[in-house]
Amino acid sequence: MALPSRYCPSCLSSLRPTRTALAFRPSPFLAQHQQPPQQKRHATGLPSARAAMFRSKNKDKEGAARRKKKARAHYTQPDLKQALQFSLVDAMRYLRAAEVGRPPTSAKYELHIRLRTVKNGPVVRNRMRLPHPIDTTTRIAVICPPDSKIAKDALAAGAQVVGEESIFEAVKEGRIEFDRCLCHTDSLPKLSKAGVARILGPRQLMPSAKTNTVVKDVGAAVKGMVGASEYREREGVVRMGVGQLGFGPEEVQKNIAAFVGAVKRDIGALADRVSKGVHEIVLSSTNGPGLSLNGEVRGEGSVDTRDVSVVN
Amino acid sequence: MVSLSQRMRKLQHKLIAIRLGPGALVLPKDVKRIHMRFGEKINGGHMGPRKFWRHELIRLKYHNPAVPMTVDRIREEAQTPESEAIMSVHFASADARQTSSSATSSPASTDSTTTATTPSDADPTERVETINMKNKTNSEILQQLTQLTKAYPIEPTEGDKEELRLLEEQRVRSERDSKMYAEHRARMKREREIFEQGRNDLAAQTA
Repeated sequence: MALPSRYCPSCLSSLRPTRTALAFRPSPFLAQHQQPPQQKRHATGLPSARAAMFRSKNKDKEGAARRKKKARAHYTQPDLKQALQFSLVDAMRYLRAAEVGRPPTSAKYELHIRLRTVKNGPVVRNRMRLPHPIDTTTRIAVICPPDSKIAKDALAAGAQVVGEESIFEAVKEGRIEFDRCLCHTDSLPKLSKAGVARILGPRQLMPSAKTNTVVKDVGAAVKGMVGASEYREREGVVRMGVGQLGFGPEEVQKNIAAFVGAVKRDIGALADRVSKGVHEIVLSSTNGPGLSLNGEVRGEGSVDTRDVSVVN
Repeated sequence: MVSLSQRMRKLQHKLIAIRLGPGALVLPKDVKRIHMRFGEKINGGHMGPRKFWRHELIRLKYHNPAVPMTVDRIREEAQTPESEAIMSVHFASADARQTSSSATSSPASTDSTTTATTPSDADPTERVETINMKNKTNSEILQQLTQLTKAYPIEPTEGDKEELRLLEEQRVRSERDSKMYAEHRARMKREREIFEQGRNDLAAQTA
C-alpha cells in the first residue's frame, strides 16, 4: 500500500532504531494488520464495512484481554519485612518535629490500622471511648419526648439538645447545633415521619439501629458518647485520631492499645461472616509523615521517654 | 494503593529532610526554650521567620526533643508594617544550671495553650536573649541563633551517608528509565498513528 505523502521517509526510517535498550517489539495489534487490508478489499468488495468489522473485532479482543486480568478480591498485603518500622518513641520524635510550632490542641496523632480483608463485604465500624479522650466538646442531640424522664436522664448525662418537634423544626431550618444525634426507640416512628433524613443522612447524623444510635437507655448511651470517637473501615484501613500532640508516650500507648483492641474485638464479632486480621499499624499526625510501628515502645538508641512528653 | 517500596522511598526522603540539613544542631543544655513571634502574612519582612519555622526549626526540634519550641503568629488583622518579628531564646541562669544535672529531661512547666508568652513575663530564673528576625532570611536567622547559643552541628553518620547514596543512585536510575520509556512510548504512538492514517486513506481511496 502506498504510504501517504505527509510522512517524510526519514521519520519512517527512524522508526526501527536499535540502539536503545528497550528493543522495539511491534505489538501483535500492528503486526497482524499491517498488510492485509488491500487483499481483503478485493475479496469482499465492501472495504469500509470490512474495516469497521476489523475495528470492532479489535475492540473486542482488547476488552477480552482486559477482562482476563481478574480483579483482586482482597486488598494487597505487602511484605512488611521490606518496610521501615519504628518504635513508638522514635515515631513520636519524628512527628513532634514535623509538628513543631503548631497549636498543640489542633495537631493530633492519627492511627491507621491496615487490615487483611476482602474488598467487599461487611466492614468494621464502631465507636469507642479512649482512655485519654481527645475531644470532649462533642455536642449531642437526643430525640425523645421532652419533659419526660428520658429527657432528664439525657440532659444529666451531658446531652445539649433534647426534644422531638423542636429538633425537627430546627434541622429543617438548617440549624444543626450538634455533632451527634441519638434517638430513643419509642420516638423512632416520629423521627422517620418528620422527613429530616434527607438533611441528617448526608451528614451522617441520622440515627439508625445500624450505627447503634437508636437506643433504649439514652442516659448510658450519651455518657458513652461524650468524648467518644467513631471509626470505620474504608478501603481496608481503619483510621482514627488517637491523641493530641501534647500527649506523652504512655498516654498515646494506652490509646493505641485500646483502639487496636477494640478493632480486634469488632473483627471477632464479624468472624462468622468474614475473616479479617490486622496487617499493619501506622502512626501519623496532622502534618507529619506516616510511620509504620513495630510494636515496641522504645527501640535501641531511642531518646528518653520524658523527652518526647515535653509540651511543645 | 501505592507499592511498598515507593512508599518507603518517599518516607525515607521525608525523614532525611527532618534529620539532616541546615538547622540540624544540638543546642547546649542551658537552652531552655525557644519562642518565635511573627506575622501570619509575609509582608513587612516576615517571610524569613516563616521559612525558618517550616524548615530549620523542624530539624532543631528533632535533635533537641526536650526543648519546647513555640511559634506565635500575629493575627492577620492585627499585623501592621511595624509588627515585630522576634525570636526569644530562654537560657537557664547560672545557679539553675547547677541544680538540674540533666537538663535535657527536665519537663517544661510552661502551659502549652498560652503561646502568647512574651519575653517580659518570662521566668525570673531565666536569662532571655532575643533575635530580631525582621527582614532576615532563614539562613541569617539560623546563623544568629548558632552564634547566640553556641550550638554545634550534627554530622551525617555513616548510615545516613549510605542512605543518601542509595537514594541518589535510585534517583539517577529512575530518571534514566523514565526517559527511556518515554522514548519507547512516543515511538509506539507514532507507529500507531501512521498505521491508522494509512488505513483511513485506504478506506477513502476505495470508497
